[in-house]
Amino acid sequence: MTSFALLFTLASIGVSETVYLIRQRIASELPICPVGDGCKTVLSSKYSKIFLVPNDILGLLSYIIIAFIAAFLVIEVPPMLLWVLFIKILIGVASIVSLIFTYLQWRVIHAWCFWCLMSAFTIWLMGIIIILSGAL
Amino acid sequence: MSKTSFHILRVGFAITFLWIGVLIFKQPEAWGGYIAPWAMKLLPVPIEQAMMGTAVLDIIIGVLLLIDSFVWLAALVGSIHLIIVLAVSGITDITVRDIGILAGIIAIMVESLPESLISKIRRGR
Repeated sequence: MTSFALLFTLASIGVSETVYLIRQRIASELPICPVGDGCKTVLSSKYSKIFLVPNDILGLLSYIIIAFIAAFLVIEVPPMLLWVLFIKILIGVASIVSLIFTYLQWRVIHAWCFWCLMSAFTIWLMGIIIILSGAL
Repeated sequence: MSKTSFHILRVGFAITFLWIGVLIFKQPEAWGGYIAPWAMKLLPVPIEQAMMGTAVLDIIIGVLLLIDSFVWLAALVGSIHLIIVLAVSGITDITVRDIGILAGIIAIMVESLPESLISKIRRGR
């Protein structure tokens, strides 16, 4: 139960963050960069989209799906085993993608984006929770 | 209130409302147990349905707070909801914490009231 609550909380934080980024992008405004000044460089780079889909939208979709699955697991909506498998695969893939984006910021773009790093840490934390949790 | 503090509070309350909604969906009858017998008699629908309605309301409030849309309205409904919760369940070891949540959600409402509404309230004085 605690692990599901943590996953749900982290996914909600992710939803809130990606909604903010999407709003700023639609309004053609730069997001506030609380730490460092590389947000503009990273968010306007060619790596900010995967197959023409902005990364913030992909992130939002992932977080919404994770939040729904965590809620389904708490409410015990069947098929439980399928939900568990699905959430593990999703967080696993998202962790790898986050790793690639972090590498790109470090080695290719040479700039750090606060929001991108926050999202990456959120996903990795979810991965750690899944690994450490006996409930999943 | 600084913008950062406001957003931290907003997201924190959003998660609280969302999670409570999910937990009520899991065991609506158990959550119905917090309602005082006198309030139970006033319900026009069975307790389970009333609690399901509460869960839906909690989730709607949570979503609006989370996506930063109609925050003042969500916080207003959330405040009224919490006042009703405190009234029908009484202040117990568990519900005493709702006083803090109520104070926080009122702070969010006050902070996010639209300028147009504030001017209307001032003009009405």
